[in-house]
Amino acid sequence: MKLLDRSKSTDFAAALAAAGYRVAAPVSDGGLVRIKEWAPGAEIAASEMPLNSMKDFLFPRTEVIGRWTLEGDGFASQDVRPDAPKTAVLFAKPCDAAALAVLDAVFNWDCKDCFYNAKRDAAAVAVLACGSADEHCFCTSVGGSPGEAHGADLLFRPADGGLRMIVEPLTAKGKALADAAGSALSEGQAQADPIARPAERFDPGKASAWLASNFESPLWKELSLPCLGCGACAYACPACHCFDIQDEGSRSESVRCRNWDSCGFGLFTLHAGGHNPRADQSARWRQRMMHKFSYFPQRFGRLACTGCGRCARLCQAGMDIARACARISPRENA
Amino acid sequence: MSGAIGAMRADAAKLLSEGAVKLVLGYCVRGNERYPCFISEAAQAEALDFDQSCRQNLAAYLRKPEVRGRAPLAVVSSPAVCRSLLVLSSESQIRENEVRALAIGPKGYGGILGLGALGAWLKADYPDLVPEQALLDRVAELSAKTAQERAKFWMKEFEKCTRCYACRAACPGCYCERCIVEKNMPQWISSAAAGHGNYAWEVIRAFHQAGRCTGCGACEAACPQGLPLMLLNARLSQDAFEEFGSRPGYELEAKPLIGSWSAEDDGSFIR
Amino acid sequence: MTFEPRITAFVCNWCTYAGADLTGTSRLSYAPNIRIVKLPCTGRIDPLFVLKAFEGGADAVLISGCHPGDCHYASGNYHARRRWSLFRKLLAFTGIDENRVFFSWVSAAEGQKFANLVNKVTEQVRAAGPFGERNLARRRL
Repeated sequence: MKLLDRSKSTDFAAALAAAGYRVAAPVSDGGLVRIKEWAPGAEIAASEMPLNSMKDFLFPRTEVIGRWTLEGDGFASQDVRPDAPKTAVLFAKPCDAAALAVLDAVFNWDCKDCFYNAKRDAAAVAVLACGSADEHCFCTSVGGSPGEAHGADLLFRPADGGLRMIVEPLTAKGKALADAAGSALSEGQAQADPIARPAERFDPGKASAWLASNFESPLWKELSLPCLGCGACAYACPACHCFDIQDEGSRSESVRCRNWDSCGFGLFTLHAGGHNPRADQSARWRQRMMHKFSYFPQRFGRLACTGCGRCARLCQAGMDIARACARISPRENA
Repeated sequence: MSGAIGAMRADAAKLLSEGAVKLVLGYCVRGNERYPCFISEAAQAEALDFDQSCRQNLAAYLRKPEVRGRAPLAVVSSPAVCRSLLVLSSESQIRENEVRALAIGPKGYGGILGLGALGAWLKADYPDLVPEQALLDRVAELSAKTAQERAKFWMKEFEKCTRCYACRAACPGCYCERCIVEKNMPQWISSAAAGHGNYAWEVIRAFHQAGRCTGCGACEAACPQGLPLMLLNARLSQDAFEEFGSRPGYELEAKPLIGSWSAEDDGSFIR
Repeated sequence: MTFEPRITAFVCNWCTYAGADLTGTSRLSYAPNIRIVKLPCTGRIDPLFVLKAFEGGADAVLISGCHPGDCHYASGNYHARRRWSLFRKLLAFTGIDENRVFFSWVSAAEGQKFANLVNKVTEQVRAAGPFGERNLARRRL
């Protein structure tokens, strides 16, 4: 079997960079770990849960999708193409890779989003199975597993007590990654480590069923009381995909950009005339739950939550979507 | 501290059972984390807790209609929260009898205090709440660098901002119904999470707190990207104190720093 | 090619703008590097105007109004002075230093002062060089 010594993680990244890949990996950055573009010298923290998700590389927080310049008395449209360099995402989390199916579905729904798809096609995703999970992880509650690699092109399995990783290419893209790695990989035998088993905290089917008939539940007011209405949860979420399109101009040019947006913001649904159909935070938090566990499954046959737990991990107000799901759909044995 | 927490819980229960308040805003412990919690029945008062790790500024909830609509309220108030309550009071955002503080801090429990009594409690027990020395040292270190070095430092930090506005949400001082960053006729601050939009957002967010920031640190604690927002806030607070003696959140009625003036203000930088 | 600074001047209607007018009617010449934006009062100058100017291409910003005690609206310039005092330090802390933002009082009678001021500011900015397209306060998408 193909093996990667953990100590050779950066060699792997360097080999891919030399082969022309833009390499994204979890990198230690001032005490925090984030998935960012790897540069020589950056320390890779392969097993850590990065504070951001991989979606940053497929659906960035801000993306220019149109550009016009002022010429004479009129505007001239500039040709804006997706910025989609060949990219290798290394040591992504299984929950992040699982979220690709969510993004793929929505960005190829009624129209094919060329900006997303160009990046998606250019990206090869290498997942590292999780040897550990924290109290916020709940992939097993939403049909995922810390050892699976749905959506990924290559799977790393931790082995020999974390010293090595077993490398399993799953697609042609993944094989290309392994081929480009050169001497960073070696042939040999290793014993796969046990994968993490985060507790199953709720039954997603029951949650969806409860949501379908409880739009007016008084529980929404109670559950949403701590929420202060920022976008931190949505922006950290690997599956959240709402965006806002803004045209911004200067004297000489106009730029159309697509920015992340969040249903948690009061402005998200504010109409030009002043009416806001989601008038308070309970309506906005309900939307977040409904979208992930009711509307999205109805349309696309899958949940729009992969259980990474980032939203709960970073929320200072203590909003916790898994706790909310457990509240409405407790497991029989819990 | 356990005695203080017990007394605070008892007072919360008393206020709720007497009907003097309808909702108590406090903190609870969940695992290693501290979170805001809201109780409306005396029997739930045991859930309330407090220690120095409670970084969220509960005064931020007073702008939330769902919370305000349940006034009169009691708020478990650290000295930092008390200061924010006084800033909100001096800016006519909250009124006496609408909000009561269950004042609690490192020196113990201060009892149920109306807004009018907060200043005296703070001045007696916490008269000189200033930023921690370690923070001031970092401010001094950065201030001593060249303008180019400072620009480079902040560029690296501000570029991380995703514009989730968690800082704004966590701040009791950010109570505008429509924030300047959301105004687009004209578009003062670019909505793109990049470039000059990020610079303008970070600088203006900080400046809108000039003479109002009580240094609670909730914004920095809330930032998912780990931006050192308190460097900006502390530098501004330091300037405001040294130049104008500004120490917000100690008086029930105080003139806003920006919005008042003195003929004696320094004009030496004006040609 | 020599660097010609672009300086955006925010001035009040009653004193500095009238002073600048006097400079012209007195046929005094001064550096042609400023673009004047007239506002009712220095109290109306929002810190965002300064950022917008840098964003839009200014190498420096000059803010000028009535001397203390002379404000047409009694206290607009006092309000402004306090605001600038803190804002300029915040700007400097984030990397936009005193070579980029200038403040002055120029009355309607001070045509010569205005000419001298613009000349001096222009020289200082010329020495400091361009604002820099890569500065985050300028950088576009």
